[in-house]
Amino acid sequence: MSLSRTVAGAMVNIGIALTALRTNLMRSILTALGVMIGVLAVVLAVAVGSGAQVSVENTINQLGSNMALVFPQPDTERDGPTRDVGKLTERDARTIERSVPGVTALAPQLRASIQLSIPARRVGTNGIAVTPGYATVTNSEIDNGRMIADADVQSAARVIVLGQTVATKLFGDSDPVGETVRVDKVPFRVVGVLTAKGSSLGNDNDDVALVPLSTGRQRFATSLAGPDDLALLFVGFDPAVDLNDAKRDLVRVLRDRYKVRDGDVQPFTVRTTEEFQEQSATVTGVFQAILVAIASISLLVGGIGIMNIMLVSVTERTREIGLRMALGARRRDIRNQFLVEAAVLCMIGGLLGLILAMIAASVFERVAEFPAPIGAPVAIGSILFSAVIGLLFGGYPAIRASRLSPIEALRSE
Amino acid sequence: MATDPPLLEARDLVKEYDFGGETVHAVAGVSLTVQRGEFVAIMGASGSGKSTFMNLIGALDLPTRGQLLLDGTDLASLSSDELAAIRNRKIGFVFQQFNLLARTSAVDNVATPLIYAGLSATDRRERAAAKLSAMGLGDRLGHTPAKLSGGQQQRVAIARALVTDPLILLADEPTGALDSATSEEIMKLFCQLNDQGITVILVTHEPDIAQYAARRVLFRDGCVVEDEPVHDRRRAA
Repeated sequence: MSLSRTVAGAMVNIGIALTALRTNLMRSILTALGVMIGVLAVVLAVAVGSGAQVSVENTINQLGSNMALVFPQPDTERDGPTRDVGKLTERDARTIERSVPGVTALAPQLRASIQLSIPARRVGTNGIAVTPGYATVTNSEIDNGRMIADADVQSAARVIVLGQTVATKLFGDSDPVGETVRVDKVPFRVVGVLTAKGSSLGNDNDDVALVPLSTGRQRFATSLAGPDDLALLFVGFDPAVDLNDAKRDLVRVLRDRYKVRDGDVQPFTVRTTEEFQEQSATVTGVFQAILVAIASISLLVGGIGIMNIMLVSVTERTREIGLRMALGARRRDIRNQFLVEAAVLCMIGGLLGLILAMIAASVFERVAEFPAPIGAPVAIGSILFSAVIGLLFGGYPAIRASRLSPIEALRSE
Repeated sequence: MATDPPLLEARDLVKEYDFGGETVHAVAGVSLTVQRGEFVAIMGASGSGKSTFMNLIGALDLPTRGQLLLDGTDLASLSSDELAAIRNRKIGFVFQQFNLLARTSAVDNVATPLIYAGLSATDRRERAAAKLSAMGLGDRLGHTPAKLSGGQQQRVAIARALVTDPLILLADEPTGALDSATSEEIMKLFCQLNDQGITVILVTHEPDIAQYAARRVLFRDGCVVEDEPVHDRRRAA
């Protein structure tokens, strides 16, 4: 009963609001424009922020799903005296494979920036020296040819597997398998091409070239000290394994090997993909919050515009307010009339802003190849938020209108 | 029937305004009774207090002192919401400048008081259309004020004043913005409405217009100085 009365009252006020907004069409459009730009900015900020989140998640998923990364770096998570140099070796990797439960594959690696050349061209790329386990752990697939094999690693064969970007840069559309590529002047035979993974966060995942671990050890210029030192180790786990447990086991095994006592800094660092996800979620969350906060300023300015124009509107329509009071409008009827008018104005601006944001986001996705999703909650939320802006900034003018004295208002010109 | 209170009863009504420390007695002790069905013309020069008195009996303003009983209720004791309800249901206002909402059709103008009475959209429309037809404007329902003549606009305003079936029709210089022929037409309409039993209180400074009323009350310096029946009353031809 009282709800239907409220709805009926709102409908009447929406009608009055639309008439009033039509009366000053140009002014209404300009005022709505302020809110439109504000909503556009906020919705885009939310979309780009969520896009960053999605993008980072994709990057991490492309690393490999259930995996730990071991770096030869002193663990900086704890305070205390630091052994300056980190340590991680192929023997550590073999021990991990033997002693840590749930390990499915290992990918010991060396990394270096390398120059690839054929007689016609020369490109720089990320060289990764790997074992066959690399493909399993990182979910890498072969498009054409074959992956680095055990035999290649044992014989330190001069073979190379190219990422899509490198293959295209060097060979265009023709098949690189069987061709010869020079790595810093030494000839390598191309045995395979990786399936494209695409790019994430501006990082081209296909700008890589894989060589056998042993070959890389001979050819890559690295700063590693020992003869079997590693730059990086990926440890793939069974999907059923809990990564926190896996990390605990892994750290225990390595601490035993390096005889790290309680309170000492360990010469290696272990991170799981789960931790990366959490970390990046925090970072992108902050990033998104900052973006939205900056964008909100324009919405605030739009809101001030609403308040300004509503104050003008109340002044201009003082006589109408007096008349309505004489005809029986209570203070709250007048207040609601102006609140609804401000809310309608804001919601029109909000709707236009949302539509523009959707167009801008889809253009952005296509041009920048960066996801900018606008979900239904964001869409509905932005419209409701516009209404709240209207009620907030329309509140003062509306209350001022409702406090007018009927005779004073009627007398005004 | 004899126990029925008078429609309007003012007892020692005072309204003072404060202008920079100087107190102005706009209404300085007025006692006046109006019975149901009367047609009263309130006259007086500008500044005589007649408009202030009109605002008081229209529940637009509250007296400084004294009592003002409308249909037995003391207006001075009411809250702003209750006064709004009185204005909505018991009083119909007609203004000199018509005060119609621009860009709003005749029927929507007439229906405006019914919004505040809480009627549904269909009821509002039906009642407003019926009142407009009774004023001879049945074929002008959708016209905006700009498309109506002065006389037609004032008749729309009268229809709006009557749409809530009020006890009193309060008209403040209703012919002030009209030519003499149209003025006569509007005054005849007031006479007809009065004949149908509606109480009419009219504020005017024109003696000719006051001649249509049955009783003439003259204000001077905030007080009633004359209150007598109109002898040579002009009637609808």
